[in-house]
Amino acid sequence: MAEIVLKVNDVSKYYNISNSGSISRDLSNWMSSKKQARPNGKLWALQNIDFELRKGDRLAVTGDNGAGKSTLLKILSRITTPSSGTIHGKGKITSMLEVGIGFHPELSGIENIYLNGAMLGMTKRDIKSKVEEIVDFAQVTNQINNPVKRYSSGMYMRLAFATAAHLQSDTMIMDEVLAVGDQNFKKKCIRKLNDLSKDFGKTIILVSHDKENLSSLCNKEIKLIKGMME
Amino acid sequence: MRKQEWLIRPQEPIFNLKLKELLQFRYLLSQLVYRDLIASYKQTILGPAWLIVHPLVTTFVFTLVFGRIVKIPTEGLPQPLFYLSGIICWNYFSECLIRTSTVFKDNANIFGKVYFPRIIVPISLSLSMFFRLLIHISLLFIVMLTYQDQQYSFSFFRMITILPVIIILMALMGVGLGLIVACLTIKYKDLNFVVVFSLQLTMYTTTVIFPLSSAPKNIVPLIQANPMTTSIEAFRYAVFHTGNFGFVSSTYSIICGILLFSIGFITFNRMEKTFVDSI
Repeated sequence: MAEIVLKVNDVSKYYNISNSGSISRDLSNWMSSKKQARPNGKLWALQNIDFELRKGDRLAVTGDNGAGKSTLLKILSRITTPSSGTIHGKGKITSMLEVGIGFHPELSGIENIYLNGAMLGMTKRDIKSKVEEIVDFAQVTNQINNPVKRYSSGMYMRLAFATAAHLQSDTMIMDEVLAVGDQNFKKKCIRKLNDLSKDFGKTIILVSHDKENLSSLCNKEIKLIKGMME
Repeated sequence: MRKQEWLIRPQEPIFNLKLKELLQFRYLLSQLVYRDLIASYKQTILGPAWLIVHPLVTTFVFTLVFGRIVKIPTEGLPQPLFYLSGIICWNYFSECLIRTSTVFKDNANIFGKVYFPRIIVPISLSLSMFFRLLIHISLLFIVMLTYQDQQYSFSFFRMITILPVIIILMALMGVGLGLIVACLTIKYKDLNFVVVFSLQLTMYTTTVIFPLSSAPKNIVPLIQANPMTTSIEAFRYAVFHTGNFGFVSSTYSIICGILLFSIGFITFNRMEKTFVDSI
């Protein structure tokens, strides 16, 4: 058995539904706090999530809208903290919760590869060694020095996906990003993810509504229903 | 390759510098500075020349209004030099503050989707502001050359010893206050308007447009209560050997700077984890 790279222990997360937001309302809340309980409530987004992943696993997170999929990915990628529970991990984790996040419209494709790579924690040397491959994969070779605001949305998404997929990490988190490009490119992406996991032992966590693609790619599944595991 | 182990828990220690992580992301820091410096001038006609237009025009107006019309004394300094030096300092401080104070708002999209140590963004802002300051200081030297016959003593040694301290101090105050405001604006969005407005007014309480020596004796402590006053006076002292600052006011300013930055840094560290949920 491969080593465990991610261990999620009893993770829960709630959001405060507060009615604060302006100074005057906060003040009046505070004044009246002795007489009556504040009308703040808790909304549980995730409850008692428990699972572990081994090296090379490909996990699909499924569930209806609002089931907590994105919250789970956000916690795993350190964008927000859990309310309770811990997560132990090994190796570098990069996440792509939206295609092309951090791309600057005025910068060229090549500059954006470097900027995006840097955001995902790569060094200049890491990125340099991959640039050619990325440009090639995204099929944007002759436009690579133009600012990305001149790209078609397809090119833009292809470049963004290629950048994230080629950067060095041990675990990759992806939220709905397989919705990129046309059918051909989608197939190419799935092939790429498969290679990454089989040949390089990368662990992949994926959210998608595309059942067919998920089943061809993933070997594990977590189904969330109202913030709880099925 | 040794794999780094990590842990996510509900609460992190309050004063966690995470230096190791910062080092890991040093390339991002340089990229953000580059992005800030280059991208903001793409598709503009004057390009980076905008950098020097602002202080020059402000100096011109100040010289006209406060120098020629109101006739405020400038401690024997040529008026443009006096105003330009004040404006440079004040701009650096206020830009650091304003840019930092909107750090969550400007980056809400990125912060909500990708993780890196958030403190990198304020650091990168103050670095790119620092490059602008260097350009402004060079501009000041160029203007100084046109007043060569004037009576002020120029000492390279004095400058090289005092200037770095002042620059760091102004950055600490600007970024520190900015971080505090940034954290408060997560909850109270109206604070951003207050900041820009009050910064414009506070400028007139410091010695940007008048020397401390020309203020009535009884309100001098009041003017010096703003730690930026001492920074501006010390800046003028370093460059022109004029200006008023003593041991007490300098110590006071330095303490203010360190205090503001520590408070800002701690609140920022606490907020960066949860702000995504509340913005």
